[in-house]
Order: sequence, then C-alpha cells, then structure tokens
Amino acid sequence: MENRDYVKHNCDHYSGHRYAHMNNRKYGSKEVDVCIVGAGAAGSVLACELSRAGLEVVVIEAGPFWNPQSDFASDELAMQKLAWNDTRVVDGRDPLSMGHNNSGRGVGGGTVHFTGVFYRFHESDFRTRSIDGVGEDWPISYQDLEPYYRKIEWDIRVSGPRYFPWGAFHGPYPYPERVPISANAQVFRRGCAALGIRSTVAPLAILSAPFDGRPPCTNRGFCNQGCMPNAKYSALIHHIPRAIGYGAEILSDSMVTRVLTDKSGERVTGVEFVHDGQTYRQEARLIIISAFAVETPRLLLNSATSRHPGGLANSSGLVGKYIMPHTGHDIYARFDDEIRFYKGTPVLAVSQEFYETDPQRGFARGYTFNAHGSRPVSMAKTLASGAGIWGKQLREIMIDFNFYARVTLVGEVLPAPDNMVTLSEEKDEYGLPRALVNFSYGENDNKMIGHGVAMANEILRAAGGRPAFVVPDTAHLHGGCRMGSDPQKSVVNRFCQSHDIPNLYICDASVFVTSGGANPTETVMAIAARTADHLIDSMNKGRPQREPVSTAGYSS
Amino acid sequence: MTGKKTDTAAGRYPGYDVLERMDEWDSHTREIVRERLGPFPNRRILTEREWAYLSIIAGHLVYDNRADIIEWIVSHCDRKLADETGEGERKKGVPPEKFLIREGLKAMDHAAQLSYGSEFGALDINQQFQMLADLQMGKAAHIPQWSMVPQKALFNKLVSEMVSAYYSHPTIWSEIGYGGPMYPQIYVRIEEGLTEPWEAGANGK
Repeated sequence: MENRDYVKHNCDHYSGHRYAHMNNRKYGSKEVDVCIVGAGAAGSVLACELSRAGLEVVVIEAGPFWNPQSDFASDELAMQKLAWNDTRVVDGRDPLSMGHNNSGRGVGGGTVHFTGVFYRFHESDFRTRSIDGVGEDWPISYQDLEPYYRKIEWDIRVSGPRYFPWGAFHGPYPYPERVPISANAQVFRRGCAALGIRSTVAPLAILSAPFDGRPPCTNRGFCNQGCMPNAKYSALIHHIPRAIGYGAEILSDSMVTRVLTDKSGERVTGVEFVHDGQTYRQEARLIIISAFAVETPRLLLNSATSRHPGGLANSSGLVGKYIMPHTGHDIYARFDDEIRFYKGTPVLAVSQEFYETDPQRGFARGYTFNAHGSRPVSMAKTLASGAGIWGKQLREIMIDFNFYARVTLVGEVLPAPDNMVTLSEEKDEYGLPRALVNFSYGENDNKMIGHGVAMANEILRAAGGRPAFVVPDTAHLHGGCRMGSDPQKSVVNRFCQSHDIPNLYICDASVFVTSGGANPTETVMAIAARTADHLIDSMNKGRPQREPVSTAGYSS
Repeated sequence: MTGKKTDTAAGRYPGYDVLERMDEWDSHTREIVRERLGPFPNRRILTEREWAYLSIIAGHLVYDNRADIIEWIVSHCDRKLADETGEGERKKGVPPEKFLIREGLKAMDHAAQLSYGSEFGALDINQQFQMLADLQMGKAAHIPQWSMVPQKALFNKLVSEMVSAYYSHPTIWSEIGYGGPMYPQIYVRIEEGLTEPWEAGANGK
C-alpha cells in the first residue's frame, strides 16, 4: 500500500503551505463545508467556484500534484504516467482500453493530458429520446448549460473560429482561432472542401494569445504528454491554483476508499482516504464525488452499508450502468509528400457535418471528425495492438511515418444497460475490489462506425491520400450515474444531487445521460459550474435539502 | 540471427540524428532519453533465461536485431514488470502481466516442443516467427497451459510493450525522421512543405 509514484511530491497544499506529510492539515478533524473527491475537470471547477464563494473546501486526489517543469517531459513513453493506470478488469464483446485514452491520475486529472479540443454539445444531445427515439432525454436542456458554457469559455480563454457552423453556438470565441494550422489539418480541410463538406479550425482550450502569464501555443505537439509551456489549459494550472488562492485545501497522493454515512444512512458525513499506507478521514457537510465514470461508481459500490446494501445512491440499481465511450477509430492515409503529423497542436481542424441524425444514413445520431496528429509510439503501438501489424510490415510502415495523415472519428455511442461498471472479485492494493468494466457496441454504434470510417477515407482520398489502415479505438467515458427526474430511473437529479442522499453529490462525466458525438470536457466543466452555482445558492440557505421531484423539469 | 533484418534500417534520412539537438532539450527529457542509450541497470526481476527469450521475441516483433536497441527494449520490460504500475486494463480471465509473461514464456517452450521438437529458443528464425504469428492468432500447438495464459493476451502484452519501447529509442526517431523532444524550443513552421532548418530534410535531402 505504499505510494508508488515515481516522484515524491508534497501531499498537502493550501495557501502559503505545502507539506510532504499529513500532520499539518488545514482542517484536520474539523468538519468542512464541502469535500470533493477527485481534482479533474469537474472537481477543480467545483473547488474553485465553491471556495471563491467562501465555502470551506477540501479536495482529495489519488495522484500527485504535478509540477509541469520537472515532472513532464517531451516523451510519450515516460508520460504514460499521467494516465490512470490502476488496473481495471475489462470484459464484453468490445472490451475497453483504459488509461491514457480516457482518464488521468494526479491533480488536473484528464485535463493534464487531454488534447484540448473544446466543444459544446448540440441542443439535440439533450433530447435524443424525443427527437430520434434513441437513448434518453436529459433533465436539463442546452439552454440550462448555455450560460456555463459561455462562462467556462471566457474563464479559460478558449480559442476558436470566427464562425462555427454547427450546433446552437456559432461563435465568436473569446480568443481568435489558431494560425497557422498544421499540415495534417490542412490536408483534412482540403479533402473536406473537395467533397463539399464544411470544416473549421478547432475550438481549443489552448491559448492563441497570452493570458494570465501564460504564452500562446508553441506547437510542440505534446498535448497528451502534459503541456510544458502551460499554453494548454489544465485544471492543474488554472482552477486548482485559484481554488488554493480562495482558501481550498488540496490533499494529493491520497486515495479515497470509502464514503461514510451516519447511523441512519440518511446523510453522508465524510470520507476515508489512504495516504502512504495510513488511513485518514475528512468530515464534511457535503460530499461531491468527481472521480470519473469508473472510479465514481466503484467508490459508491465499495461504500455499501447495511442501510445501503447495493452501494450508496443506488436505490435505482443504476449506479455503474449505461456507460458510454466514444468511438475513437483512427483512419490513416499515406501521402506522396511528407505530412509530419507530429508537428503542431494535434487537433487543429474539425468537422461536425455528420453530427445530427440523418435518416438516410440508416442509423441514429452521429459523430465529429478531428484531424488528429500522432507521434511514433502512439501510432506504432496502436497499429500493433489494435490492427495486429508487427514485424517487417510494421517496420516498413513506420519508415514512412512522415507520410501519413490521420483523422479520428469521435462518434456517439448509445446508452445500453449492460454496458456497466461493477465490482470484480480481484482486489487492489487497498484491499478494495477492482472495477469490472463491461462494454459491447450496439448495432447502431457499428453502423455509425462503418459510415464514419468510409467517409474519413473519402476525405483523405479527396486530399490525395491512399487509405492505409483503420485502427479501432475508443476515447472518453461517460455515464454510470446518469441524471434524471425520476429517482427510479436515474442516480442524480438535474443539479447532480443524488436522489437517495441529499448531501451527496456526483458531478463528473458519469452523470451524462447520452454521450454526445464530440469531446466532452467542456460539457463536464459546464455541468460542474452549474452545480457550483446551485450549491452556493442552497448552502447559503442552510443544509442542502432533497429537491422536490415535482419541480424537476426543463427550466432551471 | 542472420544479418540485417531489413534494408530499410538506415531509413529515409541518413544524415539526420535527433540526438544532435539534445542540448536544446529540457533536462528532464534529456535524462529520460539518455537512459535509453545504455549502459542499462542490472536485471531486476527477469531471469537470465527470460531475458534471453524476450530478446529473441523483441527482435522479431520490431524486426530489428541491433543488440543495443534490443537490450533497451528488454530492460524497459524488466523495469515495467518490477515497478508494478497498473496495467490500465486487463481482460477478464487474463492473469496479471508478470504471471502472464513468466508462465507464457514457459508455455511457449512446451508448445514449441510439440510442434517442432525443441524449445522456442532453439528453433530456427522462421519457426520462431511462425510461432509468434500463431500466438497472435491463438493457434499455437494445443497445450493445457494456454487456459492459464491466453496466447493472444500474451502476444498483445509483448507486442505493446516492445513496440512502445522500440519507437521510444532515439536511433529509430532519427531513422523515421521524427523531430523528437521539443521544449523549450518551439515550432514556427508546421504547414505543408515547411520544415525547421534543423529538422530532417524532405525525403532525406
């Protein structure tokens, strides 16, 4: 149970203080207003906003508090450490890859190694049942999230095109679009233009001009390995330092192993966490779990009591169910001239031309195309493990590394109850059952993948490339604690409050009802900002109370 | 092994060496990449025999037989298994990686005995290649051990780790014309047809 991180970091951080031990905690045995589990995209926004409003906040994060200058490196292999690598057992017809493609470990969570592609969901994403007869409607609408999308975009100075052609928001973005774009993005846009498909420069959580002492992007291309110049947004360098400035305490290298309840089981009282083999507690009036679509359900299930035998917040039996990745198929084409797709921000051009349902295509919902650069390890490893190419053939392909262009298909996967997180029989180093993650694509998903792969190949061909190979992959993960108005059909309400326990909130990608067909981080952050607003309002009025079910509806 | 495995070993960029710019890299990256050039630390958990087998397998999977590069790959595997960082994901029914590789190598010997009448290490190169190809498809000679160490899982674990290590070696970066580490320097030429003065010239020119 010792701490296995490569670098020893301080584990307790609050304004003016940093400690490599737990003996000087800011609050110690005192009950704080809010304890947040997980310092990723959602937890960090919550910590920043709630502490700014004067609430006492403690954030507990399993991984280290990274220092970009000394912990990050321009290297794919070494930076695999940024992913949540703790073993998950996977099963199903299409067992998921877990780690670098979907989750992070350490302060900042996945934002430390995400690609920075920053989309709003479309209005239709929140009403797929009503519009398309698939999935389920959300208890909130696009309009509920719109002020928070706008707030987040301004808070972190998202750069993007002057006109974004799809969805409800057409720009402008706070910061101008990135110029120049990379060769890989140029090729993609040229192919799209030849076919009459609209494309744009990508909206990005990456600076196009200076902000907050940070420089614009240097195009080094190592977004997934951690940004060293700090041009890319991450919660590590934006929301967490602000939260600390507003008074929050961050406990890193500390794994929350259990959420505690009072005797009646009516309320949660705190959490138990392990640091370097020692068990500690943090008591709080309110607990928010923001630990990602796998660890959030796992923690709830592992916190079962006699009053909550199926796990906390699980009277519906839906904790862990309806998880959805995005398709992440990579489509490569060989060109006669060099592309050098390792250069520049990985995603600089995109298209959402196939985002909405088109009945003529024979499947519901759709996808986003991201022109998506790569690096040698990522390309070769996925060719080997995903496409089964090795030996002489792989060596010959990789000799032509500089001649490939790549498009990634970020496709909506429909929710299905059998796709779920449960507990396996195997235990981890804390003695807790590991997560068992079951996933299989459905018929609609496979039809969409077929369409997207064919279309990507057409685009690359129209740009002068020869379609080379398709590597099946997935990215992101959502669901597992879906939000809804009906406590029997969902885990949390429209403000991310658990139906069962009024002072237990769940706020991260696990509350997604559908997956949308685009990178989810902006929506995760917008939901967190909305939940923060709601909590600031309700906590100022006293202890958070159960929301009357009858008032839950589409307006906020 | 006989001679060079491939005539592409020199690559398209014969005059280009990514290490020439090593002094421009940040110190953390420099330290990480320099370790890949050797000398390598002593064996941590692999036995001498396991090390030798992984060396043979690495050479075939990455299609290269330069001793220094193969040694880096196996050294990486040794460290990874010793560190016990998580595996990210592991398919249900597949044992933890250390067991998978250890018992998998033994099982390969048994299967090689059945198919070819000698241990894997004593097979000729073509037979070794064939055996790896069979593992990939789950078609190696039927022995009870495969129920404990599934063939495909064994192959995938080996190929993922070894290919990742191989394409992390600066000699390979130079051969494929990859720009390599990039900080604190910046790129200002990223559009089609443009290269930085220090990058590998177009098509090696």
